[in-house]
Amino acid sequence: MGQAHGDGGIPQGDLLVVFAEAVVGNDRAALNAARGALVDALGTDALVDACCIAATFNAIDRVADSTGIPIDEARLEPTLEFRESLGINAFPSRSAQG
Amino acid sequence: MTELNYDDAPFAVRSDLTAAHLATWDRLSSAGTWLTGETRVAISAEVRNVKECSLCAARKDALSPYAVDGDHDSLGDLPENIVEVIHRIVSDPGRLTQKWYRNCLSSGLSEEEYVEIVGVICSTVSVDTFAHAAGLERRELPQARPGEPTRVRPPEASQGSAWVPWIGPDDAQGSEISHFGPNVSNVRRALSLVPDEAIGFLSMVGAQYLNGDQMFDFSTEYRAITHAQIELIAGRISAINQCAY
Repeated sequence: MGQAHGDGGIPQGDLLVVFAEAVVGNDRAALNAARGALVDALGTDALVDACCIAATFNAIDRVADSTGIPIDEARLEPTLEFRESLGINAFPSRSAQG
Repeated sequence: MTELNYDDAPFAVRSDLTAAHLATWDRLSSAGTWLTGETRVAISAEVRNVKECSLCAARKDALSPYAVDGDHDSLGDLPENIVEVIHRIVSDPGRLTQKWYRNCLSSGLSEEEYVEIVGVICSTVSVDTFAHAAGLERRELPQARPGEPTRVRPPEASQGSAWVPWIGPDDAQGSEISHFGPNVSNVRRALSLVPDEAIGFLSMVGAQYLNGDQMFDFSTEYRAITHAQIELIAGRISAINQCAY
């Protein structure tokens, strides 16, 4: 999985993406830099909440993958196109659900 | 008395978040539904040891993790089949398969034990990821408390469309309905074979992320980052983890 580019049209999105990538990466210096940039732009309360989201999804992904839950019926149809275009259907965890 | 705080942080940490992490540590240290407090804390310790495992590193680099045999570098406090569950879920969750899950059961784990182990692993990963992301030292693991597991399987649990049995959308009863009823997502019912573990995990998630109502209330921002900013981080983390869900 390569790095993402841009801000996704979301304020400070570029900083948040870099921070998310650094949290699950192995470069402590990069994480420190990303954290500092986030605090400078959004403040420490935002840092705490950004850490919380990273903490949540780093765990929830593991719950989903290890229990083999299927994508919710209500989400299948609306997300069909972008899951295909983003290559999500090619993730091993997707084929493992079959 | 379980202890956990963020007094050493160079910034304020929400009191409800600290309370939720303290409750998580308290839950991990106590006897669960199928595992003793001693085993649960040992699982948390093994979660932290995964990064030292050369077998996990080799499997992570391999085209297929199933092509690399060997023994895990473990702390030695847990049976090998539990160590395998911990190490694979922590190090390479995106390439787990249903066959691997079935092999875990064939090794002697019950479905209920497996689900409780998943809950303990993911609770530990979550609290540790928060500290790592925030630039804080990991919190000291709690001391195990005495006590016996209750060993009660919810009678309404059955095999549905997940690998693990769960309380299906139409099978939740009484106080379970708000947690596992028809209106909740599959990830919220994923651990429902062990309801106390599921509810404890979801309580922690509610403090970290948003509760069910807040998630869909786009007219109000409940955190210091917006709904859109929250989902951007969530999506990027899940993409890197290659989680299709």
